[in-house]
Amino acid sequence: MDDEELVARVAAGDDTALRELFRRHAPWLAARLRSVLSAADVEDVLQETFLAVWTGADRYRPESPPGAWIWGIARRQAALFLRRRGPAALLLPVVVAEDGQHASDPAEAAMSRAQITDAVTALGPEGSPDREVWQLMYVEDRPVSEVALLMGIPEGTVKSRAYRARRLLRAALGGRPATQGGSR
Amino acid sequence: MNVEIAGLTRRFGRNQAVAGVDLEAGPGVFGLLGPNGAGKTSLLRMMATVLPPSSGKMRLLGREPGSYGPRREIRRRLGYLPQNLGYYPSFTVVEFVEYFALLKEMPAARVPAAVAAAIERADLGDKARAKLRTLSGGMLRRVGIAQAIVNDPELLLLDEPTAGLDPEQRVAFRALLRNLGERATVVVSTHLVEDVGAACTEVALMNAGKIVFRGTPEQLTAKGEGHGVGDAPLERGYSAVLTEARS
Amino acid sequence: MSERPGWDAAPPDVDLRGVWTAVAAQVWRRKPGPFERLAGWLLRSPGLARALVTTPSLLLGWIIATVVVLAAGAVATSRAGVPLVALLAPALAAAGIAYSYGPGIDPAWELTRSMAISDRMVLLVRALAVFGLNAALGLAASAASLSSGSGAAAAVTFGWLIPMTAICGLALAAATLAHSANVGVAAGLGGWAITVVAAGGSAGRLTALTDSSFVLPYLAFAACCGAVVVYATRIPRGMS
Repeated sequence: MDDEELVARVAAGDDTALRELFRRHAPWLAARLRSVLSAADVEDVLQETFLAVWTGADRYRPESPPGAWIWGIARRQAALFLRRRGPAALLLPVVVAEDGQHASDPAEAAMSRAQITDAVTALGPEGSPDREVWQLMYVEDRPVSEVALLMGIPEGTVKSRAYRARRLLRAALGGRPATQGGSR
Repeated sequence: MNVEIAGLTRRFGRNQAVAGVDLEAGPGVFGLLGPNGAGKTSLLRMMATVLPPSSGKMRLLGREPGSYGPRREIRRRLGYLPQNLGYYPSFTVVEFVEYFALLKEMPAARVPAAVAAAIERADLGDKARAKLRTLSGGMLRRVGIAQAIVNDPELLLLDEPTAGLDPEQRVAFRALLRNLGERATVVVSTHLVEDVGAACTEVALMNAGKIVFRGTPEQLTAKGEGHGVGDAPLERGYSAVLTEARS
Repeated sequence: MSERPGWDAAPPDVDLRGVWTAVAAQVWRRKPGPFERLAGWLLRSPGLARALVTTPSLLLGWIIATVVVLAAGAVATSRAGVPLVALLAPALAAAGIAYSYGPGIDPAWELTRSMAISDRMVLLVRALAVFGLNAALGLAASAASLSSGSGAAAAVTFGWLIPMTAICGLALAAATLAHSANVGVAAGLGGWAITVVAAGGSAGRLTALTDSSFVLPYLAFAACCGAVVVYATRIPRGMS
């Protein structure tokens, strides 16, 4: 039985088809995810992925092969996962270093952090491409190759989006009035 | 020590099914061998708190099953597969295992994961939602095994568990037994000698209501040196001990 | 599962079996209906609620139990005028139910006897199911036969099925309080005996029981039993 039939069966409520899909795809999905996530996170992401396959199988369209469709779900789940866990503390040194300035006191740092969090919304809503690149490359500090893998886009596109994200962010930060004690 | 039995007897009318048994067992897989009518099932039933003993002392999981409270605690930590387990034909595998998980008073929140794990361990993953009336005898036996292990029991009592299983399934089952025996006391009553040799750390041989041999499978094999009856070494040991006991 | 090819492609520190088990737990889980959840809350036991709800689905047992219960009902409401007959009717019904769901017909009886929830509690709960459901059916039959004027359905329903449902409720409440099914059964039979003797004493015959004016007290009785169980099980039952 091929994968398309299995997905159709899952959509019809056949749990043994889901089991077979898991048997076929979970190993390679786990291997791919393991390069960007810890083992425990891979397990959580895979669990969410296959539950999403179970509930969303009726939304599968045969334009893409089932493996790619499942990978798409896994990728989105992984990104969601990283976003939820992303440490905000990394934001500050990353951005401030880019601007060539250093926040010397905690109050300034806190205000800078708040400014940055606001400014990040300028990149677009959660889940938009620029936002995702920002999160993966600068918050998670991942190499371009990993970001390309996670987002399913070529490395060149990653770089151009990263450039655009930095530009947007700097514009958002620079455009703010310097009201809080000169922190920038 | 999960099982501490001293001088246990059970009679049915004039028949002395169990005629004075002493037994102590900790974690591990414990085989109970013997011919039909030797008293294995009665002993197992007493350990499952289903049959009250006629006399003797018994402590299971550190408690005495004579009174309601301790007996209930024992039963929550017990797994039992009777020799003849019937099934509710309209139930699915999940429903059957879940029903007994609930009757064992497992916390309701833990039940779905425990049921799924038990079904997968018994290798019934592709039959989970099938109705029991559609399953073969061997599969039904595995459903029985699944309900016995669903509450991760500290004391697991299996009466002829491999009945109806094909050789491949029996190999898988023995691996499961060894795995379970790492933490729990597993008592397997069987008349299939080869089941015992492969999985059990200790063996007891019963005849006419008494234990006539207690030791490792290797020691039982050693008893068979020079004995004529039996195709395999363990069978010869079994036969030698029985012959001696009957003489 | 792990013996199949392709599994080795997975990284060794990722527990794929565990992941599948977690997925299967959600996919396979059975969600109890509202009646079962209510029963579980009232009985403070999801296991007993499940036993209650699955009673009719154990078909052979259900049929036999129903036949015995209705036969006993016919005995109880017969105008023989002898209280002893009515007193014995519940014993007959109980024996029938115990046989249907016990060693006679229940295929997993031996296993049920090794369960933490006592087998007698399971039987009590099943008795409630048998009487309750038959009482509901009897009510429907009585309503349906109102026009035809035949009072047989009403006689059995109001004179036997509904009171016995209340008695089972009492028995279950007593059993839950005393942690003993035996106490429950004794309480149930005692309650029945009292109502029979009282009714027999006032009218001299059993027919007093078929008077529909007894329905409200019986229903109030059952409601009180329910309230007692709910209150009693609020108190933690010692060590869990």
